[in-house]
Amino acid sequence: MADVKMVNLTIEGRGVSVPDGTSILEAAKLAGVLVPHYCYHPGLPVAGVCRMCLVEVEKAPKLAPSCATAVVEGQVVHVHSPKALEARKGVLEMLLINHPLDCPICDQAGECELQDYTYQEGRAEGRYRDPKRFNPVEDFGGDVMYVANRCILCTRCVRFMDDIAHDPVLAVVERGDRALIGKFEGEDLTHAWAGNVIDLCPVGALLSKDSLNKARAWELDRAASVCPNCSQGCNMIVETRDNQVMRLRPRPNADVNEFFMCDHGRLNYRWMNRADRVDTPMVRQNGVLARADWEVALRAAAALLGGKRAFVLASPNLSNEALFLLGKLVAKTGGAGAFRVNQGQEAPLPGVKDLALRADRAANVRGAELAGFTRSDAPLSGMMAGDVLIVADEELDGVDATDAARAGAVIVVGTTLPGWARHGANVVLPIANCVEEDGTFTNLRGRVQRFFQAKAAPGLARPSFFAIGDLLASVGDGAGYWTASQTFDALAAAHTEFAGMSYDTLALKGAPTAGAMTEASA
Amino acid sequence: MTNNNEMGEMRSPGDASHDLHATYTPVFTGARKAELDELLTRYPTKMAALLPALWIVQHERGWVPAEGMAEVAAILELTPAYVKGVVSFYTMYHQHPVATHFIQVCTTSPCNVCGAEDVVNALLKQTGCEELGVTSPDGKYAVIEVECLGACGFNTPLMVNEQFIESVTVESVPALLASLG
Amino acid sequence: MGFPHTPHERESLVLSKHFGEQEAIGLDGWRKRGGYVALEKALRMEPAEIVQIVKDSGLRGRGGAGFPTGLKWSFMKPGDGKQHYLACNADESEPGTFKDREIMRWTPHALVEGCAIGAYAIGATVAYVYIRGEYTEAMEKMNAACKEAYAAGILGTNAMGTGKTVHVYVHKGAGAYICGEETAMMNSLEGRRGNPRIKPPFPAVSGLFGMPTTINNVETLAAVPHILNNGADWYKTFGRADNPKSTGTKLFSVCGNIAKPGNYEVALGFPFKDFLYDLCGGPLPGRQFKAIIPGGISVPIQTREEAENSPMDYEGFVANGTMLGSGGVIIIDDAQNLVKQIARAARFFAHESCAQCTQCREGTAWTTKILERIVAGDGTHEDLDTLLEIADNMTGKTICVLSDSCATPVVSGIQKFRPDFEALIKRKKVHMVPAQVA
Repeated sequence: MADVKMVNLTIEGRGVSVPDGTSILEAAKLAGVLVPHYCYHPGLPVAGVCRMCLVEVEKAPKLAPSCATAVVEGQVVHVHSPKALEARKGVLEMLLINHPLDCPICDQAGECELQDYTYQEGRAEGRYRDPKRFNPVEDFGGDVMYVANRCILCTRCVRFMDDIAHDPVLAVVERGDRALIGKFEGEDLTHAWAGNVIDLCPVGALLSKDSLNKARAWELDRAASVCPNCSQGCNMIVETRDNQVMRLRPRPNADVNEFFMCDHGRLNYRWMNRADRVDTPMVRQNGVLARADWEVALRAAAALLGGKRAFVLASPNLSNEALFLLGKLVAKTGGAGAFRVNQGQEAPLPGVKDLALRADRAANVRGAELAGFTRSDAPLSGMMAGDVLIVADEELDGVDATDAARAGAVIVVGTTLPGWARHGANVVLPIANCVEEDGTFTNLRGRVQRFFQAKAAPGLARPSFFAIGDLLASVGDGAGYWTASQTFDALAAAHTEFAGMSYDTLALKGAPTAGAMTEASA
Repeated sequence: MTNNNEMGEMRSPGDASHDLHATYTPVFTGARKAELDELLTRYPTKMAALLPALWIVQHERGWVPAEGMAEVAAILELTPAYVKGVVSFYTMYHQHPVATHFIQVCTTSPCNVCGAEDVVNALLKQTGCEELGVTSPDGKYAVIEVECLGACGFNTPLMVNEQFIESVTVESVPALLASLG
Repeated sequence: MGFPHTPHERESLVLSKHFGEQEAIGLDGWRKRGGYVALEKALRMEPAEIVQIVKDSGLRGRGGAGFPTGLKWSFMKPGDGKQHYLACNADESEPGTFKDREIMRWTPHALVEGCAIGAYAIGATVAYVYIRGEYTEAMEKMNAACKEAYAAGILGTNAMGTGKTVHVYVHKGAGAYICGEETAMMNSLEGRRGNPRIKPPFPAVSGLFGMPTTINNVETLAAVPHILNNGADWYKTFGRADNPKSTGTKLFSVCGNIAKPGNYEVALGFPFKDFLYDLCGGPLPGRQFKAIIPGGISVPIQTREEAENSPMDYEGFVANGTMLGSGGVIIIDDAQNLVKQIARAARFFAHESCAQCTQCREGTAWTTKILERIVAGDGTHEDLDTLLEIADNMTGKTICVLSDSCATPVVSGIQKFRPDFEALIKRKKVHMVPAQVA
């Protein structure tokens, strides 16, 4: 690695030094210059077909496609020279001659590279006055719909399905201006990762059926997050409108998911918008769960816990911060903690190393283990009669009710109030779900990654670390935790696996735990 | 499924025009299989035998049906979509059944200046096809214009299926059609 | 007007000497005419010696680009441990060109021999002859010739008893002009869509199946046995004394509005005017040449006056503002609607565009639509400016030159025959409002 030859060149007057073999386009990115492009995508093999990324290289006879041209020592590159601009203007005009110009009804509008570059560099008016070609909209199967009339034939989708998914169900069919993206009848985009073609499509040709006509791109608020739907920990963006999650999309992270996200993760977001949330603390009075304020509920919980063992049944979808504090509660009361993990079919993305929809369908399995919780399919087996059962966002689906009945009391710290809790719980403390609070997850390879609040929690629900921190304080451990980062700092100080980490150092891409680093170097 | 009228009618997956594999008899058995096996020895990859394999299908069936694409794909370890992409690239593979005498007339510039369009018109009239690409009422003929057949000095050249015929003139059209029967 | 055609005394018959002789098609007949002597000799030489002779002869690619053949062969590094390939480009599809077809129809063994020598010279054991799908007769002849050559031990694992391996396989195309572009041809041979590849890497580094590959045109390879038999100096005697860069004989295909179309073989540097009038008989009775395209439809169109002064070689045509190209001479006379023919040429390219590059996929089709509209009487003067700007956007900006080729006749056509376009625009249809509506 140390022997990589560096090449020095000048792009738009800025000197830049990049490893030998880098494309001009990538070098320009490092120099802070975006070369407009369509077919190029850093996660896919180079095609060099859209001809949008043409740049002027001094002393070269022709404009160079910057995605497919490697840097040369001493090269002087002009991205915005009149010649280069003229060429790209020409490409933009050609891309639009057969385009329906239907931005007002197109889902891509607002996040469309055809729109963006046309505003940036294109002609004010097209000169095309002949009939436009027409092809019908086609359902590609899976979550994907193909609007051929908007397609610019960049072939990103074809290359993704071929080179990354290893399931080439898409192909360019026909040729000349009759060409379009086609599939074989009966062979649909059913691959578990096929939905990525929607994100990869730079225009409105491949659309998500799930989010079709649901929101305009500019109405969406966005927050960086981590997919909670399996233990892979794909980085994602949560997009909301009016406090509703509208769409989940992958966020690039070369160490985890490159640029991709599976369909299961992407489409499994409706639970984040559940309307049947528990939005107020509750305390059982005279056999009935009654609304209470936080002070009362916390006092009631502390009273139940007084001198008893706490047995925590935790959801592996809770943050490291919440699990850490629950772990402290277990330690404080001399109790125990367990969790179980929903299982599903594993589905790898073969073109990316170590990327798969994991069988463990929970975000923080590793985090739960590191927090001292025991993984078990019979999660209540470790509970002793008379323990205070703390159900931390676990719905207890399929758990034998008689098992739970062995508990001396039940405290629910959760987002919802499952049916059994209406008569089984003594205290209910409402918390935010993972898109309503800040926190971290530790993925299956031990990578600790931050997620950010994307929407407000309902009613009086509080961030999980906050609620559990108060519960802890009410039994005499500490004085509460006010922010997620403060909680994480306490975790980092207490746990060698997280030593030296902070929200600042984790930033947007995360970092491996000490154990994960040892594993990786072994 | 919501759909905008502006987008036109949406085709949904799986409305195949014919039921795959229902009545399809594989092409690559016996002699055809042996022929393909011999072809495979000529190339370092299976994929390279794709064009020859598709030719075999077309010779056997007169066109390349979807089932044929799927069969070739399976043998050469490709996907049917990939094969469809290749088939549709090359104009000589027919993706639909064609008339008994599929007449392909070169009308590119060198032939065009020598009256190729007159030959086309004569053919359209005398075959009863009337329109380009339309099969004659008796199902025997279809006439299409094709691009340069590479016989520019012998205009007008045309191909009837895979038979190459040079120097066709308006006057010789009746004799040509008579010879086809 | 096919063969046999009576050769003109001023032709230099090397490749076409036996065109029209039924007997020459078969192996025995070909051997009687000196066939396979060169191959036998070559297989006992060092490959480098062969490359040197071809270099010395000055032979250049006859497919269009005119790259020196010996130099191209020398890019193939012997002993690199890789499988080398020779690919013979018999996808002759440039409108106006039909010379390779005649070589394969009449002298298939000449090509088999040329391929075998070429393969041996570049360290390849396999040569593929990629023949366009429409050339059914040429294919049949080539298949038969290969079969005979294998049966006679000329090809195979012990070629001509020398213990050396030379395979020649015929590969059938399926209807795509662009497969005549060498990288598209390689893709097609590999079983892909005929999409041209980005260069670099060049074929000599990573070509067919990712291996070092040389691609030569039919006519180029067919000339090689003659060069080995008669020597490089002999080959150099054909050509202009004042232009050593273009040597040898060249087949020119002549078509369009001319008295005697057909294939003519002349020494490079032959005066074009003599060629058109003496050899090819000049214009049809009562007509005049209007426009001449000397090297296949991709090269600039010229007026009769411009064209007639060219010496027929690589440099001669370039000096005169056009190109030798594939040697397909297309004549358009004064009875034709030139704009319609340019529109027809554009339609050809629009039909053949592989659809990869934006400018080509969209530009060829757009150009065609505008031109066809002008021909239909619905053009405007702005259309001409638009056409030229589109052409500029289509030139020098794409992976291959199909896009440039479409722009060339449009630009040269408008430059040289603008009045023809304007006449069509002037007689623009007046769109009448129907009486009952008004």
